[in-house]
Amino acid sequence: MGWPQLLRPWVFPAALLGLLEVAARWLVPGSDALAPPSQTAMAFGRALMAQGDDSVLQATTFTLTSAALGLMLGAALGLALGIVLGLSRRAAAMGFLSIEVLRPVPSVALIPLAMLVFGFGYRMEVSVVAFATFWPLLILTQAAVRQVEPQLLEVAHALGLSPWARTTQIVLPAMVPRLFIALRLGVSIALVVAVTVEIAANPSGMGYAMMIAQQSLEPDLMLAWLFWIGVVGYGINLATLRLQRAVAQRMGEVNLEAKP
Amino acid sequence: MSASPLLRFDQVSIHLGGREILSPTSFEVARGEFVCIIGPSGCGKTTLLRAAAGFLSPSGGAALRHAKPITGPSREVAFVFQDYGRALLPWRTVAGNISLALEAAGIAADKRPARIAQVLATVGLGEHAAKFPAQLSGGMQQRVQIARCLAQEPELMMMDEPFGALDAMTRESLQDEVSRLVQSTGLTVLFVTHDLEEAIYLSDRVIALRANPTADKPSMAAMLDVKIPRPRDQLLTKEHPEFLRLRRELYGFLGHH
Repeated sequence: MGWPQLLRPWVFPAALLGLLEVAARWLVPGSDALAPPSQTAMAFGRALMAQGDDSVLQATTFTLTSAALGLMLGAALGLALGIVLGLSRRAAAMGFLSIEVLRPVPSVALIPLAMLVFGFGYRMEVSVVAFATFWPLLILTQAAVRQVEPQLLEVAHALGLSPWARTTQIVLPAMVPRLFIALRLGVSIALVVAVTVEIAANPSGMGYAMMIAQQSLEPDLMLAWLFWIGVVGYGINLATLRLQRAVAQRMGEVNLEAKP
Repeated sequence: MSASPLLRFDQVSIHLGGREILSPTSFEVARGEFVCIIGPSGCGKTTLLRAAAGFLSPSGGAALRHAKPITGPSREVAFVFQDYGRALLPWRTVAGNISLALEAAGIAADKRPARIAQVLATVGLGEHAAKFPAQLSGGMQQRVQIARCLAQEPELMMMDEPFGALDAMTRESLQDEVSRLVQSTGLTVLFVTHDLEEAIYLSDRVIALRANPTADKPSMAAMLDVKIPRPRDQLLTKEHPEFLRLRRELYGFLGHH
């Protein structure tokens, strides 16, 4: 690839940034909502250098740790329960009503409760993220278990595999392509909910830093945080994709695409 | 060894979804026998095989193995599915798929590689142990499934139209391979096919089933011994007078009028 091709994806963002720079400097100077990209970049540089609670490193670590822990908790519970409900029709019938009543509760509506129970900090944010990611993981896992090739389960039967071996050696690996769809959904939900909790209540993390910038009328810093959250989200999505490819390669590529 | 036959069906009938798939049917399979079940589609031959393997229980009569009722799948009974593509684990290599049978049998991890190499050599796949099923041809995939069944060290092997989806050349070479295998291991085989020539060529005995059984026309249309000497040969055996006689006789039973 030559230089022109490599540069092509950057043409539009560069033009947009240029336009924004012009607009913010000359059309609405001194705006409380907009800041020129050059100032935003400088504000971001200052935030990078800052020490303490509102430094980029600290805030990013807090948000990502909360999102990751919450996702792990929600995914582990959702996966375990989803497998049980997927394998046993009786369990699914027993759990149906409770799930359908609890599932539609918006996860952010739990923030007041989580705050009362856990106070500010990691635990309340982790619990809300876990609640938010639990449901999609549960539903998708349950569906994935039901879609496991029935003949593979017969093979397991004919070979005399124990129920535990059947789950770990047949059901789980057969689910992997669909689980990755669930995982990628879970990752994006976890990030959204973590930032939301910080904007709404928790005085830590990237969401809170952005709120503080807004309240102290520093649109350049606020936009810098917004940009940074976008970069972090992009990076996480890329990492999940890489992981998915690596796993697919180890599993013979044939499982690469989930059959719809 | 006990005198009771390895497998015995005593007036076994099977109803599925309110329809009689198999009317009361009785037969025995002795140790070391190769028995083929043929019939048109919908005659219940696969259902019979599944009942013999313990995947479903008869609606009437008794299905016995070593004079004991068959209550479920057993490690002594291996099952070769027709659709090899859906019977192999696509995320495991050839060796990994064979290993599954050994894991199920509780064989220690350090003893598995030797056994895997041995069964793969038996079916001529020694070179392909590290490949994934999707990288193999249909015939080779079916060989993997047969190897996995051999690794199980069963006394009885059920084969449900195992070569139905393969091309004629591959089918013939696999027929010869299975014949040779069965001869050398003394395995007992119950083999379902809708291919008349395949049934006669492979078996010691052919059971012909008919579709839509009635009171005066039960499921079992015929049971014929195949007394053609072994080892058999794709050309010579199929020109053998006995082969031609059986072919003619069974042709009528299968409803080609």
